[in-house]
Amino acid sequence: MSPLSAIPQMMSSYGATPGADVMRPKALPTPGIDAPTPLDQPGEVAPGQPAGDSFGSVLGRLVSDVNTKQNAAMQAVDGLQSGQGVPLHQAVIAMEEANVSFQLMVEVRNKLLDSYQEMMRMQI
Amino acid sequence: MIQPLSGIQNTAAALDAERTRLDVISENIANANTTHGLDGKPYQRKVVVFENALQQAMGGDNNGSTATLRVARIENDKRPPVLVYEPGNPDADARGMVATPNINIHEEMADLIAASRAFEANLAVIKNEKSMAMQTLAIGKH
Repeated sequence: MSPLSAIPQMMSSYGATPGADVMRPKALPTPGIDAPTPLDQPGEVAPGQPAGDSFGSVLGRLVSDVNTKQNAAMQAVDGLQSGQGVPLHQAVIAMEEANVSFQLMVEVRNKLLDSYQEMMRMQI
Repeated sequence: MIQPLSGIQNTAAALDAERTRLDVISENIANANTTHGLDGKPYQRKVVVFENALQQAMGGDNNGSTATLRVARIENDKRPPVLVYEPGNPDADARGMVATPNINIHEEMADLIAASRAFEANLAVIKNEKSMAMQTLAIGKH
């Protein structure tokens, strides 16, 4: 049995071939967690789904949210330093929120890069 | 909009309110000896009244509205001014009595400590919330 012989099985367990349902492991019932939806093909929109919900646009929204938070934090600090009556704690909270959002974004990026590199290391 | 630190708006509002309370206490302490205010009467002690406000959560598309704290109003303490015999004071009346503010400095100090501790408690909530978020982001790290 060659090491590669397991690959068709693996692929079929991801639904790549028709009739592979018998191979597919039963999904555990996890309350509160939605079943993973397959990623959209580029340039193809699943029926009944809004066009702006591709993975790329979700990621783009995350980045722009983080950017908004960073801008809000900068404005709060500016307001504090120029004496516009922004309370100290609000500026610090805005900075912390921006910090945590940024960390979240960095973690998402790390995961993406990790999975990409894992793919590139795969022997075919 | 992502909310990495959920519920932090509540805590921020509480910090705002406690800040106002501390400001009012500092005003009371500063004016503990003011016998002649703008209206010619002695300074009257001020009290902060808090209220529970239903606030639309920021970017609340998922969690709707939450009840937060805010300062409803700042009222005067109804207690009468304290009369002190001090004939040399320019504000003394015909009998040599001076109306001094109804402020007890010990009471103010106790209030100050309570407000400062409440502020501290809210700061601890924020600190905890941030540490929880950072620890959650570290799930799966070795």
